[in-house]
Amino acid sequence: MKPLFQPSALRRTVVEMAYAGNAVHLGCAFSIVELVSALYARQMRYDLSDPDDPGRDYLVLSKGHGVMAQYACLHQLGWIERQDIDGYFHDGSRLKGLSDAHVPGCEVTSGSLGHGLSVGVGLALGASRRKAGQNCYVIVGDGEMNEGPVWEGMLFAAHAKLDNLMVIVDANGFQAMGTTDEVMALGSLRAKFSAFDFDVLEVDGHDLAAISAAMDQLMTTKNGKPKALVAKTVKGKGVSYMENINAWHYSRLNAVQYEQALRELGGA
Amino acid sequence: MRSAFSKALVEAAQNDKRVLLLTGDHGYALFDEFRRSCPDQYINAGIAEQNMVGVAAGLAKAGFRPVVYGLSAFVPVRVLEQIKIDVCYEKLPVIFTGDGAGLVYSTLGTSHQSFEDIACLRAVPHIDILSPCDAHELTACMRSAFAQAGPVYMRMGKADLGAVHEALPDLECGKLLRVLDGDHPVTLVATGSMVKAAQTLGRELGASVWSAPWIKPLDTTQLSSIAAGTRAIITLEEHSVVGGLGGAVLEALAEAGPRPVLRVGIGEQFSLTCGSHAHAMREHRIDLESVRQRIAPFVAKWQAA
Repeated sequence: MKPLFQPSALRRTVVEMAYAGNAVHLGCAFSIVELVSALYARQMRYDLSDPDDPGRDYLVLSKGHGVMAQYACLHQLGWIERQDIDGYFHDGSRLKGLSDAHVPGCEVTSGSLGHGLSVGVGLALGASRRKAGQNCYVIVGDGEMNEGPVWEGMLFAAHAKLDNLMVIVDANGFQAMGTTDEVMALGSLRAKFSAFDFDVLEVDGHDLAAISAAMDQLMTTKNGKPKALVAKTVKGKGVSYMENINAWHYSRLNAVQYEQALRELGGA
Repeated sequence: MRSAFSKALVEAAQNDKRVLLLTGDHGYALFDEFRRSCPDQYINAGIAEQNMVGVAAGLAKAGFRPVVYGLSAFVPVRVLEQIKIDVCYEKLPVIFTGDGAGLVYSTLGTSHQSFEDIACLRAVPHIDILSPCDAHELTACMRSAFAQAGPVYMRMGKADLGAVHEALPDLECGKLLRVLDGDHPVTLVATGSMVKAAQTLGRELGASVWSAPWIKPLDTTQLSSIAAGTRAIITLEEHSVVGGLGGAVLEALAEAGPRPVLRVGIGEQFSLTCGSHAHAMREHRIDLESVRQRIAPFVAKWQAA
């Protein structure tokens, strides 16, 4: 039976990891928690006993700095161990601060932004050529969409008619140095994806039921168009003092903040 | 050499349906036969090289054998980060072919000239670098590339210089191929388009000449034994003297048993004027006559030693 991927439990794991490793990027992980939860709990096909099952659906975390949210899911799947969580960033440990393809369940090595969509397009193209019925989900950040290859990948995906590909934008409205509007205004992502010939839906990125309904609607529409889900999210979602505070891209938890975060998430 | 490339590609694709050719909207006429024989295995990825390499990585992960074709100024140099992160870190079996290496695009200028490609890739783990000198070496290189389990870069330079080898050579990982046997105390080691020049100079001097189709890895044991039998070595390449064949030979010998090495190649200079390939070679002083002059004092010194 699949684990439950309950969002507050996932966030607690993120907080524990970040505190154990004195790690940053908490805000970036929190904004995608419901997205990865929906993917692992309902949307994706995978073999619990084999992360490399050739028939799996692919999850490409292109915004690799959100990886603690995925690690929390991988821990629930049993693909990474409790000691990986408690020993995060300790000397000789195996989980890095950015998505890494050597970790079971991580498809790409990202963090240098703008790589994942292209690899995801290749995976989706390979799957469609094999006619194996596999889907590929790529999570990109809205800030990441500053990168040119993202738009190259969108052109290619539409040209290759990859309706087994879904680009999920974590649209939290922030990037490292400010809001996306301040740094490099994106305008309407919905309009941009539509113009690139994607089927696109917008959704509240923290409403699990709405996310799943939107994903279902997109992926059951087999019309030769790649899919885009623009998820409106809150950077730092789930912990009061982090929500929409961009400093939690870079800040580290102190002991007081750690205890408060766990309390708010229903832990300690 | 280009028809040998096309032939080797078609042969590989016909034998293995997992072989997919990706091009960044380059290769006019070169792929006519491939497109005719294997239309479903041909992907024009558009003028978007970064995406093309990422797509190739994804295809390799999904079980395919992608061959990425581009001009060597773009593949690998423009897409170095995609090659490093998306392909090499996972040791994916992607073959990169960089055409027009060196000064081939003499009239198009700096954007299309490429003499940093070997240097860029030599520092990236897990990728082999091949640099054939004629059609025979190219055919052997392509077979070796498809036999590899990990990533390979094959550099294709000036392609119309004629044959160096009389037949298909046996290629072994990292091994130099003997082109000419001589008893001069200086030995020439060349790669790609410069093997022809080395052959001519070797005949004039009575010197041994080796071709280096496999630049990374280099077989240090073989190189050491060649070095042990000579007083000095001259390397020749249509590439920067920094980080290319000359750099690789120097680094290997510095550790294994040093010999004086003169590196003939392109120095700290972009092309300044326009003209034919021969003109560009003269401008960079790597045409046959310039090389003859450049090596003369070094040859005289070690001949007398």
